[in-house]
Amino acid sequence: MSTVALNVKNLSIWFGDGAERKQLVDRVSFSVNAGDATGLVGESGCGKTMTAMAILGLLSTTGAKVRSDAIEINGKDISVLSAAQRRQILGREIAMIFQQPGTAFDPVFTVGQQISAVYRRHTGGDKKQTLKAMLESLESVGFKQAGEIAATYPHQLSGGMRQLAMIAMATVCKPSVIIADEPTTALDGSSRALILQQLERLRLQSQTAILLISHDLTVVKQVCRNVMVMYCGRLLEKTDCESLFSHARHPYSAGLLSCIPRIGSTRPSRIQSIPGQVPQASNLPPGCHFAPRCTRAESRCRESIPTLDADHQGVVACFRPL
Amino acid sequence: MMWDTWQRFKTDRYGMGGLVVVILFLIIALLVWSGLLGQGWSEVSGNGWERASVTHWFGTNRLGQDIFQRTLFGTATAFEIGLTVTICSAILGTLMGALAGWYRDSWLDEVILWLKGVLDSIPFYLFAAAVAFALKGSAWAMHLAMIITFWTTTARIIRGEVIRIKQREFIEAARAIGLPDLKIMIRHVLPNTFHVLLVQSTIVFVAAINTEVILSFLGLGIQDGVSWGLMLAESSEEVLAGNFGNFIAAGASLFILLMGFNLLADALQDALDTRRLGK
Repeated sequence: MSTVALNVKNLSIWFGDGAERKQLVDRVSFSVNAGDATGLVGESGCGKTMTAMAILGLLSTTGAKVRSDAIEINGKDISVLSAAQRRQILGREIAMIFQQPGTAFDPVFTVGQQISAVYRRHTGGDKKQTLKAMLESLESVGFKQAGEIAATYPHQLSGGMRQLAMIAMATVCKPSVIIADEPTTALDGSSRALILQQLERLRLQSQTAILLISHDLTVVKQVCRNVMVMYCGRLLEKTDCESLFSHARHPYSAGLLSCIPRIGSTRPSRIQSIPGQVPQASNLPPGCHFAPRCTRAESRCRESIPTLDADHQGVVACFRPL
Repeated sequence: MMWDTWQRFKTDRYGMGGLVVVILFLIIALLVWSGLLGQGWSEVSGNGWERASVTHWFGTNRLGQDIFQRTLFGTATAFEIGLTVTICSAILGTLMGALAGWYRDSWLDEVILWLKGVLDSIPFYLFAAAVAFALKGSAWAMHLAMIITFWTTTARIIRGEVIRIKQREFIEAARAIGLPDLKIMIRHVLPNTFHVLLVQSTIVFVAAINTEVILSFLGLGIQDGVSWGLMLAESSEEVLAGNFGNFIAAGASLFILLMGFNLLADALQDALDTRRLGK
């Protein structure tokens, strides 16, 4: 029986009020167990990154309004903490890996200095301990010459190496939850494999809970057991990877899957895409947000909002699942 | 960081040349301040307008004062004005610019921008004259006038840099590891503005020395002592009469020091900019 490491209850994010209100994330709930990886997929702009930022409490400077029943890390609700208390937890119990490893490092300090700073801040370790922890974390992500890597500036490393160093920085304090926001999107194929291997290692060896945010279902399939499909700030389907790939229940999930090009299959007459466009956050359709693009939509889809329990199994938010 | 920067700086021959020149002038200035050099700047030690000789290396001026001694003393004046104005306006400008940039579009930003706009709209020499008059001939009137007007440019540049840096992902990353705002500012924002501040400071240093020349010429500058500016002001009459002592001594000193300073700044900028390192 594994324990719940990250638990998010009814998280909502919006900008503005009244008629100006833009709902970015709408009552999203999920949990990730220790030693488990969960994927969060969806098209660009559907609220994936917003969700991650809100969990870390990083939206306060943007003017976005955040409300949730609870955001728990190892059973401790961090949404009620003050900013100062929350800062004690960020980097130590929950860490984030960013999409652009090139810009997520400060260009004026070496990689080693930046990793050391995180460690010193959270553990108060002396110089010797810090150096040891820093080199260990660089070695743990697979750098053979950790000392040399530590002395380089971020831009001297390739994109893949930078992302590995980013993982080293995120894991130097051994957090129990890691949020990886599109960690492989900016990388080439072989670097991607390396990064995914490292996430897998963290999950298995350190029992880290991983929330992997991606628009790429194939990436999610490689690392995660569970997957959530998000659209316009709502979770449409929450299931395990295997069932999603073998039998997607929500028409939108099925649409996403059909967009993945397959090697070896006969060339389709045209490249697949989901018809229509993602609606604006300020002008969301009533009822199911996907209804205007859905081939199976009927009148109740346009009138009332299907909850994740619409099929009575808590898997898919659809009145007419596949 | 300091050691790396020095290692990179050492390989730049022009920069090292500039550093040597600046250090030589600085030594002269230090010796003047400690009373070992240039103490005879006001003493009448010969006839008016003597040519260069063994006793008067650069000749004498109209009153018979030794131009070499006056040049040495002028070095100390130049450093005193340059350093005071540069350091004070850099601190003030960085503080104001960083506050305005970090709290962009807040009331604080508005106030600072308004203040900057007001100061920039006053003609500089008129303002300097007003400050000099208000302080009734104080030796610091010129410094104050320059600091009050020079910080605005630094503030504008730093504000822009801070706004640009604040949007970079590593600031978000610093928040994500739990760093409070003030520490993010000191550790990640300001170090990233440092190379810009350095270049701006060399411009201010050069501008301060240049402005001193003009203000001294107008009688608003140095009250007690001598500067290259005063010497150039004197030479404006002498050159027509064929006496180039003041003009060459002050002009050449000014040129060599400013050139050395610019080379130094240029090399420092390259050495500090870690992004320019090879892959």
